[in-house]
Amino acid sequence: MAQTYDRGAVEDVGRWREFSAGMWAWVLHKFTGWVLVGYLFTHIAVLSTATGGDELYNTTLQGLEALLVVRLLEVGLLAVAVFHILNGIRLLFVDLGLGLERQDQTFYASLIVTGAIAVASVPTFLAGV
Amino acid sequence: MAEYYSSFSKGGRMWFLQRITAVILIGTLAFHFFLLHFVNHAAEITFAGTQARMSQVGYFLTMIVFLIAATFHGVNGVYNALVNQGISGTPKRVAKYGLALASLLLIAQGIRVAFAMAGFSL
Repeated sequence: MAQTYDRGAVEDVGRWREFSAGMWAWVLHKFTGWVLVGYLFTHIAVLSTATGGDELYNTTLQGLEALLVVRLLEVGLLAVAVFHILNGIRLLFVDLGLGLERQDQTFYASLIVTGAIAVASVPTFLAGV
Repeated sequence: MAEYYSSFSKGGRMWFLQRITAVILIGTLAFHFFLLHFVNHAAEITFAGTQARMSQVGYFLTMIVFLIAATFHGVNGVYNALVNQGISGTPKRVAKYGLALASLLLIAQGIRVAFAMAGFSL
């Protein structure tokens, strides 16, 4: 049976050098969550051009996709979404009491798989820009 | 029992809904990304293609479920993060009702956009 001990508040980010894997997982899950919810509002705003007709919709989307910075941000968004999904699955298992002894390893696995998927997606996201 | 940190208190309806929407989003977000970035590249998206997809009832309903689940999960997550930071009293009430209003507006606009994409004007 593992010992429990006080690691301090994760909200006290000033002591980030002392953070454990679980605290980094918490911080990254919050950060990626903020990014995703911010993007959700932005995404609906951009897609709202559909209410202005097909020409406005097409020129808006194609204009955005012609920008390299948008393509790079999309790779970042994919990385953020993949990490949030993988770490979210990890959290669901933790909430169910499964894999409690392997929380650090599953966090590192989430990071590695996220990195691999993000790197592998770069050619797809940058195609034709 | 091993030590673990959970940002939510167990037993509550909102705690349960946060997890139900999480499960819905694992599927819908992955599907959305895969379909609109890898099967159909984002740069090649046109209104005609969007309309063809949104005209399918199953796809349309999936996107509405995706919108509602993502809005609830995201906005409730923001609220939980703010509560975790220790807001209480009036700031907590402002956050609660402000975020609830923002959610309703986003869902309403999202549904309006979905109908426009399917070829209907609301």
